[in-house]
Amino acid sequence: MSAELERFIAAAPLPQRLGLRVLLALASRPRGMALLARFPLAQQAAFSTLALGRYDDPAVGRALGWNAEQVVAAGRELRRSEGRP
Amino acid sequence: MSAAESSRVVHEADVCVVGAGAGGAVVAAELAEGGARVVLLEQGPRHDIDKFSARPPEMLGRLYRDGGQTATLGSPPILLPLGRGLGGTTLVNSGTCFRTPPAVLERWAGEFGLDVDEATLAPCFERVEKALSVAEVTPELAGANALVARRGAERLGWSHGYLRRNARGCVGSGVCVFGCPTSAKQHTGITYVPRAQAAGAQVLTGADVRKVRVDRGRAHAVEGRLPGGRRLEVRAPRVVIACGTIHTPLLLQRSRIRDASGQRGRNLSLHPATAAFALMDEVVDMARGVPQSFYVDEFASEGMMFEGVAGPPAYAAMALPLTGAAHARAMSRYRHLAQFGLMVSDSSRGHLHVLGSRPVIRYSLSREDLAKFRAGLERLRQLFQAAGAREVYLPLPAGVTPASACADDLKLMAFHPLGTARADARASHGVTDGDLAVHGVEGLYIADGSVVPSALGVNPQLTIMALATRLAFHLLDREPPGGASRPARDRRDGSAQADGKPRTQELTCPS
Ligand SMILES: Cc1cc2nc3c(=O)[nH]c(=O)nc-3n(C[C@H](O)[C@H](O)[C@H](O)COP(=O)(O)OP(=O)(O)OC[C@H]3O[C@@H](n4cnc5c(N)ncnc54)[C@H](O)[C@@H]3O)c2cc1C
Repeated sequence: MSAELERFIAAAPLPQRLGLRVLLALASRPRGMALLARFPLAQQAAFSTLALGRYDDPAVGRALGWNAEQVVAAGRELRRSEGRP
Repeated sequence: MSAAESSRVVHEADVCVVGAGAGGAVVAAELAEGGARVVLLEQGPRHDIDKFSARPPEMLGRLYRDGGQTATLGSPPILLPLGRGLGGTTLVNSGTCFRTPPAVLERWAGEFGLDVDEATLAPCFERVEKALSVAEVTPELAGANALVARRGAERLGWSHGYLRRNARGCVGSGVCVFGCPTSAKQHTGITYVPRAQAAGAQVLTGADVRKVRVDRGRAHAVEGRLPGGRRLEVRAPRVVIACGTIHTPLLLQRSRIRDASGQRGRNLSLHPATAAFALMDEVVDMARGVPQSFYVDEFASEGMMFEGVAGPPAYAAMALPLTGAAHARAMSRYRHLAQFGLMVSDSSRGHLHVLGSRPVIRYSLSREDLAKFRAGLERLRQLFQAAGAREVYLPLPAGVTPASACADDLKLMAFHPLGTARADARASHGVTDGDLAVHGVEGLYIADGSVVPSALGVNPQLTIMALATRLAFHLLDREPPGGASRPARDRRDGSAQADGKPRTQELTCPS
């Protein structure tokens, strides 16, 4: 799990944090996946969280036309050149 | 001096404002500029914009309370993200600006006895809009995601338009809700808070206010904690609470403020929302441009408002209502995905209570609101189909149609909680009066979303800021510039004092 996703999960309130960790542990095993498939809401929560992490990977983003570093650099340059806060 | 005494920080002020979001920052700046000695306390930090990374998971963890994972209990559970830090939720919001709809103001006057109408609030709105550089998004900046919705709305003949936003020099970075990397979004942390400081206000971050002290029916101080555990006390004859709709009732309760109306923590409206995706032939690149730049208000009178929503791949992947191979296939075509949101002006009402020191938020969707979601999702499908979508992904489990959806099938979020300390002229019906003074306590006021007594049907930040402006000028006993003069009178019950002077204690405000 990436440090960013770890930080996101760590920031959640305790019940959600524990719940998410259990769901993610289940989602990492075939039998757990089969179990999750019986609970669509839980399955979607696990899937969404994993997808958030996977597609946050800069290389994956770039392949889809999104470059976070470039967006941030352009912002920094704009703030510097225009004296924005 | 004891160790406890030496680690105690004491400030004195004319007014102590708690919370530096939409309401608190505005009140603090207007009062400070009006000459009052102000201390503004914010629980969260001053966020360092150089650390804004445009990466959703990291920024959710950094800028949002609970990592943006605050949730309601009920049917269905609803994610309710809240900001925390200088700027409050305005730091992470989409920047959409609506004035309070006139019909809502009429309802407030009739149902809650509030002395507000379009004309009296207009100077406050004008003042806020000027401070925040509010302007309509241009089609160029709105991006292709807005174009998809516009094409659909035009083909269907539905009323639509570009949204007004508080942004200056926006280049469409596409990550408003993950921290604007260009400082284009004019959130209160970079507008009103610096103004307050320039006018002499003291701003303390990391200040967790635990209690408002009330003695013989009069607020006179707040207590809290600073980083490192130091105790904080601010002595002030006037206290304005602006912790937001979820946290203000908690502070009132912790402070053992009497709740004669029984309304504290009740009447929670959420403006629940959902969103659909569509696969288009054209390249959309939804994160290029302003994510929330376009609206369709054809069905606003039926309680359904459609507004743009979009973000980078990580955001889209999290929000896309698919799993497994279908998800991977749709995400491989991310550049062709469009997204649009639906918000329902709710009649459902939730309530808050406290467990330990945390809010427990209960809210279940009423039948009436479920019907609006069903109709709204069908309309979203129509909108995308009219725009030429190849596929539409509605936020429903496989095999469930809008018509057959039950509440627990819906995947909802909410961004606009309101009403948990609602204003009502009658002490038996509201937590504050029409001038936002807490009923039954002298010198205590509320200036945030919690006082808004009914659902608005539109995004609320401007309403909250206009009401906060009105409160500030009321406390200064002045009219907002441009406002029609209003007779001095007892602000509590609306009746004129015998001597025509306001009953509340005056601030010394050199002009
Ligand atoms: C993702 C997102 C997008 C949004 N988009 C829009 C939009 O486009 N347009 C719009 O109009 N609205 C939008 N909103 C909603 C809007 O931002 C909020 O309605 C508004 O900011 C609420 O203002 P407030 O003053 O009630 O609370 P907030 O702005 O949340 O401020 C409350 C502040 O009080 C602080 N606080 C809480 N407890 C304490 C304590 N004990 N001690 C000290 N400080 C405390 C908090 O940390 C916070 O900073 C959006 C919201 C979200 C989450």
